[in-house]
Amino acid sequence: MIELTAAPVMRGDHLVRSFGDGAHKRTALNDVSVDLLPGRIALLMGPSGSGKSTLLAVLSGLLPPDSGRVLARDGDRDIDLWAVTDAAREGFRRRTTGFVFQGYNLFPALTAAQQLEIVLRWGNDSSPREARKLAADMLDRLGLGPQAHKKPAQLSGGEKQRVAIGRALVKNPLFLFADEPTSALDWENGRQVVSLLRDAAHSRGASIFVVSHDHRMVPFVDVSYHLEDGRLTETDRPTDHSGGNG
Amino acid sequence: MSYALQTLWHEKARYAAGVGAVAFSATLIALQVGLLLGLFELTSIPVDHTSADIWVGDSEVQSVDLGRPIPVSTVARLDRPGVHQPELLYLTFASWTKPSGGSSLCTVVGGDTSAGAAGAADVLTPDMRAALTEPRAVVTDRSDLGKLGLGAVGDTGKVNGREVRLVGVVDGLKSLAAPWVFCSQTTARELLSVPNPVYADHTTYFLARCDSPARAGQVVAELRREYPTMSVYTAAEFSFESRWYWLTRTKAGVALGYAALLGLLVGSLITAQTLYSATMGSAKEYATLLALGIPRRRIYGLVLRQAVWVGVAGVLLAGPTVFALAAAADAAGAKVTLKPVVLAGAAAVTLVAAVLSGLVALRGVRRIEPMSLLR
Repeated sequence: MIELTAAPVMRGDHLVRSFGDGAHKRTALNDVSVDLLPGRIALLMGPSGSGKSTLLAVLSGLLPPDSGRVLARDGDRDIDLWAVTDAAREGFRRRTTGFVFQGYNLFPALTAAQQLEIVLRWGNDSSPREARKLAADMLDRLGLGPQAHKKPAQLSGGEKQRVAIGRALVKNPLFLFADEPTSALDWENGRQVVSLLRDAAHSRGASIFVVSHDHRMVPFVDVSYHLEDGRLTETDRPTDHSGGNG
Repeated sequence: MSYALQTLWHEKARYAAGVGAVAFSATLIALQVGLLLGLFELTSIPVDHTSADIWVGDSEVQSVDLGRPIPVSTVARLDRPGVHQPELLYLTFASWTKPSGGSSLCTVVGGDTSAGAAGAADVLTPDMRAALTEPRAVVTDRSDLGKLGLGAVGDTGKVNGREVRLVGVVDGLKSLAAPWVFCSQTTARELLSVPNPVYADHTTYFLARCDSPARAGQVVAELRREYPTMSVYTAAEFSFESRWYWLTRTKAGVALGYAALLGLLVGSLITAQTLYSATMGSAKEYATLLALGIPRRRIYGLVLRQAVWVGVAGVLLAGPTVFALAAAADAAGAKVTLKPVVLAGAAAVTLVAAVLSGLVALRGVRRIEPMSLLR
């Protein structure tokens, strides 16, 4: 089912990133290299402050590394993400990248459907009709059809995070970066969220990179990494991908 | 409904301060200008309440109440086709002595009181005109009775030391400072000659009707060309000149203007603060969109549209407020003139101020970074 020899769609290459200087200098990434494969969900774990979010930010084009490269698939070519202009990087994120954050960050005034539509209309210049259709389809697929016209205040935490996932997936990105997507949820809702992310990887061929503390996610992912003291190690590569539920 | 408007509606409480501030600014500006216009309309009352088409006076006349003597003999200069029989109008400051003693300033306005005369104020009734033909009979506005120390018709006071008798009271001829005291030409000549004997054969203005407004314009142009030592105006010009003179020569315009400007400034600051805090309140949502690669200009656009809607809501709120307060001011004796152009101007100025306030909020948007969502 999984093409293990698939070529990586993103490669972090000898990434170094530190914060502060002098005695307060802290090295979050110390020569970190990682490959992200299409159709795979990768989990990054590690102690608090170990630089997990830093790696996510560097790979996703939000935070420049001190040194090293990020090579990423952009359409039918590869780009060196930190060698291109800010505008080009923004365009890359717009075309290829979805994000899910710990907070849901949904506009209080907008309905669930509109949270998705705004991304299509402002990001892809979709027509209102096209945006409405794509948003409705996505919410249906996430089991949120009946909630499409509700505003965040009328949704549960799990529903809100699913809307946030819908917002990240609606433009059909090649990459999806999720930072602690389940930390505010109980496990039942957390499990649903991880399952949705995994389905997105497996059914859409997206490359999904999840940063989390939550060990219960491990059985749901294709590969797990551990980051500590700036060093990345691969900890787990389950081969039984049907065993995600138990 | 647009995202901007939807947000405004959803977070009414949050944006209310900004809407209120815009409404406050717009109301203040409209009322200040309205008060100012209302106030200075009083300076041109003799022009606005008579029916002459052209006014001719001394070359140095800048406002109708600042007339100077001109020789009656020069009236022949108006003798030309399309100009009706000219009338004399005496109009100048005089000393008023109240019945109880104590003196103040008044403005004597002595015109033709016959029926159909161009120089008779339109609010004078035929009975009053008849009564004004009596020697030393005067009429004044109800609002000035107190200033003149008069109580009712029949009361007497003194103009330039000569006793005059009140024969009528009118409404609508309010004064700014020196009450208008209307009388006949004969009475005016007698009263004004006391301190200034030149008035025996001088008057202050020649008034005339013309065949048409177009002809009035031509006559004014001709007379200006032929007699540079005279001031010649159409009635509309003279009305405007009189108001403009007092508006620009007094500090009242400046004072009211400053107050309006201050109101606009305070309103803009509150609006800017409201928009800024509302924008920063949505910083995480905006940061998420930025992370997704949505160009920052889209968010600038959203914030500016919100600013426009805050402005529109404020102006809509100001509308009825202005009319209600203007009615209240009128009831209290202050005239507020709400011209459409003034209302539109106040709305435009405050809308622009609201958008400028939105620009301040954009500074907040510039600082939003998606990285802030990762900890």
